[in-house]
Amino acid sequence: MLLVADSVGFMADTPPSETTDTPGEASARDALDRVRFEEEALSHADQLYRVALRLSGSQQAAEELVQEAYLRAFRGWRGYRPGTNLAAWLATILRNAFLDEARKQSRRPAQESIDDTSEYYLYNHLTETAAEPQEAVLNRLSGGAIVDSLSEIPPNFREVVVLVDIGDFSYQDAADILGVPIGTVMSRLHRGRRALKQALANHASKQEAE
Amino acid sequence: MSIDPCVGVESNLQPYLDRQLTPDEVGLIEGHLGECSYCRERYHFEAKLRDTVKTVCCGDPVPEGLVDRVRLHCRGLGAA
Repeated sequence: MLLVADSVGFMADTPPSETTDTPGEASARDALDRVRFEEEALSHADQLYRVALRLSGSQQAAEELVQEAYLRAFRGWRGYRPGTNLAAWLATILRNAFLDEARKQSRRPAQESIDDTSEYYLYNHLTETAAEPQEAVLNRLSGGAIVDSLSEIPPNFREVVVLVDIGDFSYQDAADILGVPIGTVMSRLHRGRRALKQALANHASKQEAE
Repeated sequence: MSIDPCVGVESNLQPYLDRQLTPDEVGLIEGHLGECSYCRERYHFEAKLRDTVKTVCCGDPVPEGLVDRVRLHCRGLGAA
């Protein structure tokens, strides 16, 4: 199974598997592989879970997603090239697993577009609607409202915001994970953050009205 | 950067917060932020917004037992 796009480059220099091992050598190598997987790959569980949680939107779905991603990663572990970005390699697999699951449930993320608004959309909105300073309104926004706002961003923009702003991946990592040029990452990030501000403005208004 | 420094700051604020600008561009932005309260207030708000979203959305640690379940599951699969 091809786990990551060739364009990502993670698999490009993978040495062909040895076929001349004795059974003893093969099992020693398997054991070493397993130790490396458990030590290295599993240490990224926190970062992967954060991304999974914000992609899928529920704890249960995120746990299943992380588990599925690690199983795929384990099966394809020989395809990982040591020294390349392991977190990005794992996130690529996680994102593919997420898309597969979404496809199964026929909720393939639509390629939606979103309105372009001012950078200061939320700031201006709070200036017009709230009696308090803007940052005070931000402080009073509930965690639930913020999480909901993130989940309301159209999926193809949300995944970039999740990778960069929540997962701490660089623009280049996000480009590799998504298999798109870095310019696409930047424009989706820009629009995704604008959409987040619009959603936050709506939640802030709702909260004021309550 | 744009001729109007406030417009320049607005359009470069996100890359600035992402640390994607060159040292020269950073110098221009920071120089302007030092003297313009209009941009400074908005910059503080944007930085605070980033922090708030991140703190809220990163708050959940990986559930207890998940890593152990993954480890056991992989061990059950045999060789990597």
